[in-house]
Amino acid sequence: MSRVPIEPGFFTVPDDPAEAPRLLGSRCTACGEHFFPRRVVCAKCLHLGCDDVELGPDGTLWTFTWVYFPLFGSRRADDAGYGVGQIDLPEGPRIQCVLRGGFGDYAIGMPMRLELEALREDAEGREVVIHRFAPTGGAPA
Amino acid sequence: MKLDGVAVLGVGMTRFGVYPEKSNQDLAREAGLAALADAGLGFGEVDEAFVGYIFAPPMTGLKAMKELGLTGLPVTHVENASASGLVAFREAAFAVASGRCDVALALGFDKMTEAGGGTAPGRDVIDSVILPAAYFSLWAMRRMHERGTRPEHFARIAAKNWNHGALCPWSHRQAREPVTPEQVLASRKVAEPVTTMMTAPVDDGAAAVVLARKDFVKKRHPDRPLVVPVASALKSECYTPGHTFLGPVVGPASMTRDTARQAYEEAGLGPEDLSVAYVHDAFASEELEYYELLGICAEGEAEKLVEEGATSLGGRIPFNTDGGLVARGHPGGPTGLAQIHEIALQLRGEAGPRQVDGARVALAHLVGGGSVCDVEILVRE
Repeated sequence: MSRVPIEPGFFTVPDDPAEAPRLLGSRCTACGEHFFPRRVVCAKCLHLGCDDVELGPDGTLWTFTWVYFPLFGSRRADDAGYGVGQIDLPEGPRIQCVLRGGFGDYAIGMPMRLELEALREDAEGREVVIHRFAPTGGAPA
Repeated sequence: MKLDGVAVLGVGMTRFGVYPEKSNQDLAREAGLAALADAGLGFGEVDEAFVGYIFAPPMTGLKAMKELGLTGLPVTHVENASASGLVAFREAAFAVASGRCDVALALGFDKMTEAGGGTAPGRDVIDSVILPAAYFSLWAMRRMHERGTRPEHFARIAAKNWNHGALCPWSHRQAREPVTPEQVLASRKVAEPVTTMMTAPVDDGAAAVVLARKDFVKKRHPDRPLVVPVASALKSECYTPGHTFLGPVVGPASMTRDTARQAYEEAGLGPEDLSVAYVHDAFASEELEYYELLGICAEGEAEKLVEEGATSLGGRIPFNTDGGLVARGHPGGPTGLAQIHEIALQLRGEAGPRQVDGARVALAHLVGGGSVCDVEILVRE
């Protein structure tokens, strides 16, 4: 089944589902600061001009929670809730997004990896996906 | 420009609640007329108006103002998410302080019960996955990790605000029996560690504040203590390392510290001078963080403050004496003006069973999505 992002311009959707997606970010051509999502003006030094870069897929869990509602806009069979976290990328940005797994699977400081979650099928039968992070199984730093 | 020569002339509000039979205009008229009555003023004497709301359609502020009269006065819409009401107050205060007018009205209203039908298009789709409850719970979970804060601390703050609300006629939530932290913890979970009783209700309402030149207020109400805005600070986000752009609900926690610092400096006052404070407790867990960010206690001491009951009525520095967002309610636009309503009563010594003895300096704080932070400081003269 072909996959489409919930919105274009935020993450890659590799043809090979085994390949990790990347976040579509920016790097300031003057001061080198990284951002997600893409920007035109550097948020740190106000320089006009950023290069497009791909960020991730590895990060570290800064904080997390478990939301006791079905995931908004999802047809996930499991409606017992979903994890949400903030993940620090080694490049700098802190990413806030959905997490894979259950509440007991998370610990602050643990390594996480970017992947895609299938939310639903669109009218053309394509799988609508959103970026999320998942625990790699590694121990918290 | 400094706030100078301005005082609060009158305040009024509806009780916040669920009002399917009332329109925004109905609610705005009720609050506006109440504020004018408290001010001892006819609408014809109002020179300028600032209207704050979030959820109603464009032009609703102008339409609401027509409920009070068609005098040709300038009406300006102010939309700054949850801080809209406080920012309308700020703009009205500066309109008077600048000499542009003698009397200005700040009016806020909203029907949050009718908001949120349908999905916003475009970027908001990817943004809307993270709910406000999740966002503030992320703060709370990090706090628990760093400081050993327990859900009981948040529950104690929520119970305090419920119990304050029970003493306030304008509070949406008015529990018949005292609320305990155990009850708060036993209510349904929203997002770890936040429960429904730690969360502001969804509600409707309106609130209004009339500001005027000090001499005007003194002449109109010679027997009342003067309620004087002395500092107003409004900030949007400053870039921070590890900044989060997509999906957050408000900016970094440091926004509150930076905005409060600016307000304290402008007022020539510090956190130790405060008699009473009002903060954005849409989730009770936030209030604990604001104790430190507003400088009420040192970093890492907020839990102790809660354990001592220092922020309850009768404590060292009562917070949210009207119940805060958790109990009094949080329709959106009127929320900040409800804070000023309660501050005016406290500083005038008219807060009844909620009165803080000798209240002299009060602070109102709201954060809003987008993001903004607004801090207002008022004193009794």
